[in-house]
Amino acid sequence: MQLNRETSVRGTLVALTATLLGHSGAGAAEPTHADASLLIYSESQRVTAGEAMFRFRRQLSDPYSLSLSLQVDGLTGASPNGATPSRQPQTFTRPSGNHPFTVDARETPLDPGFRDVRYALDADLTRTLNRMTSLTLGGRASVESDYSSFGFSSGITRDFNRKNTTIGISGSVARDVSRPLGGSHEPFSSTRVVPEDGVPDRLGYQEDDDEGGEAGHEPKNVYDLVLGVSQTIDRETLIRLNYSLDHASGYLTDPYKILTVVQNESSPDPGEPFDYVYEGRPGSRTKHAVYAELLRHIGGSVLDLSFRHFWDDWGVNSQTADVFWQWPVGHGTTLQPHVRWYRQSQADFYRPFLEEGAPSPRYASADTRLAQFDALTYGLRYAVPVFNGSYLSVTGEYYYQKGDSSPPQAFGSLREYDLFPDLKALMVRIGFSRDF
Amino acid sequence: MRTLRKALSVLGLLAILALLGGCYSMGVNIWERDILAKPEMQFDHEATDRAIDDHIYFSKEASSGGRGFGGGGCGCN
Repeated sequence: MQLNRETSVRGTLVALTATLLGHSGAGAAEPTHADASLLIYSESQRVTAGEAMFRFRRQLSDPYSLSLSLQVDGLTGASPNGATPSRQPQTFTRPSGNHPFTVDARETPLDPGFRDVRYALDADLTRTLNRMTSLTLGGRASVESDYSSFGFSSGITRDFNRKNTTIGISGSVARDVSRPLGGSHEPFSSTRVVPEDGVPDRLGYQEDDDEGGEAGHEPKNVYDLVLGVSQTIDRETLIRLNYSLDHASGYLTDPYKILTVVQNESSPDPGEPFDYVYEGRPGSRTKHAVYAELLRHIGGSVLDLSFRHFWDDWGVNSQTADVFWQWPVGHGTTLQPHVRWYRQSQADFYRPFLEEGAPSPRYASADTRLAQFDALTYGLRYAVPVFNGSYLSVTGEYYYQKGDSSPPQAFGSLREYDLFPDLKALMVRIGFSRDF
Repeated sequence: MRTLRKALSVLGLLAILALLGGCYSMGVNIWERDILAKPEMQFDHEATDRAIDDHIYFSKEASSGGRGFGGGGCGCN
C-alpha cells in the first residue's frame, strides 16, 4: 500500500492508541471488523466446490471482545473412489447402494455423485486480563449430511519485552461423528453382495440404505495443542514460530474409498480387477507441525514468507513453503503474487491396489491424498479500497498436484494406466473487509 | 530414521529457545511502531482467506496445522 502522509499519521496514532489500550496490533484497535470471502474451487472434470466465510469481530464492553465466524461450503462433482482402471468398463454402485455408475475402459474410476453442503459456526470470546495478558474461550460446530463436529477451545497469550515478544498457548477438543451413507463397512470386506438367490449382485454394497437411516455412527475425538511465539525484530520485521500437535482417535477411515484387488502375476490377466474391497486405516493418528513465518516491510511492499514441516505417525512427512508479496500500485490498491510449494511422502499403508492371493494387510488405503506427490499453487490477488475503511479483493489461483503415475509395484495391465492422474484446479476468491 | 527425527526436533527446540533468548533484547519502542501498525503487518491479516485456503488444502492433502489447529471439523478428509 502506498502510504500517504495521512495514512502514516493514522497508522502511528492507531499504534499508540492500541499500545495504550493494551492491544499489540493495530487491527485490534478498531471496535468492529467484518470480512467475507467467497471461493469457487474447480477441478478439471472433477469436483467443483464453493466456500463462503463471514467473520465478525467486535470490541464489547471492556475487557471483552467477540469474534464470530460462519462458513458454508458446498461440493459437487466426481471424485476418485480408489479403484484402478481396467481394460473393461467397470460398474460401481454408490455407497448408498443405489445409482450405479459405469466407468469407461482405461479411465480412472471417479464417483460422479458427490454432493454435500457443510455449515460451520465458530465463536470466540476474548477477555483482556491485564495490559499484557488475554484469555480466549471458544466453541465451534459444523454439520453436514454425513458428518458433524462439535468442539471447544481455549487459549492464552502474554506479551513480554515492551510487547515485542508474545507467547501463546491454545488447545482444543472436538468430537466428530461420521455417519456414512450406506453405513460403515468392515475393512477389506468385499463390496460385492451375495443375495439369498446366490447370484452375486455385481458390486452392490452390503448395507443398502440410500437415506442413511441405518448408517453407522462412527465417532472420533480430536485434541489439538498449539504453542506459539512471535517476535518483533525491528521496525519492519516480525517473525513467529508455532508448534502444533494434533491427536485423533476413533474412526479415521474414509467410508467412500475402496481398493481394487487385482489378479496376480500368475493369472491369465494380471493387473485386471478381481475384487473390490473397502479400505481400512489405523484408529489413531498423531500429527506434528513446526511453522515459521516472516513478515518484512520492504519500501512500501510487504513480504510474507512461511515454511511448515509436518510429520505424523502414519509415515507422512511434508514440507510447505508459501511466499506472498503485497505490492502497492497506487490509490490504495495492491497486487499480491503468491506461490506455494508443497511436497509430501506417502503414508505407510498407502497401496494403489491389493493383489489377489496376497495376505491382507493390517491397514491399506488407495486414497491418493495419502500418496507421495508434489503440489504447486500460483496466484495473484488484487485489492482495492471501495469506500472508507473497506476493501474489495479478487484472487485467482491455479493448483497443480503431481504424483507417481506408474508406481514401481505396478505390474501387468497396471503398467498401461495412469495410477495418479494430475490434479489441476482453478480457484477464484472474492473478498470484502470493513472496519467500522 | 525416527530417532534422527526426534533428535532433530529436540535440537530445533533448543535452537528456538536460544533464539528466544536472543530475541529478548530485540524489538522497538512504542514510538517506532508506525510500520508495524499497518494492517498488512499483522500475522492474522487476511485470516479469512487463509482459513478458506487451509480448508481446501486440508481436503486435498495429508497435512494440516502449523498456523493453527490442524484437526477435524470436516468430513472431507
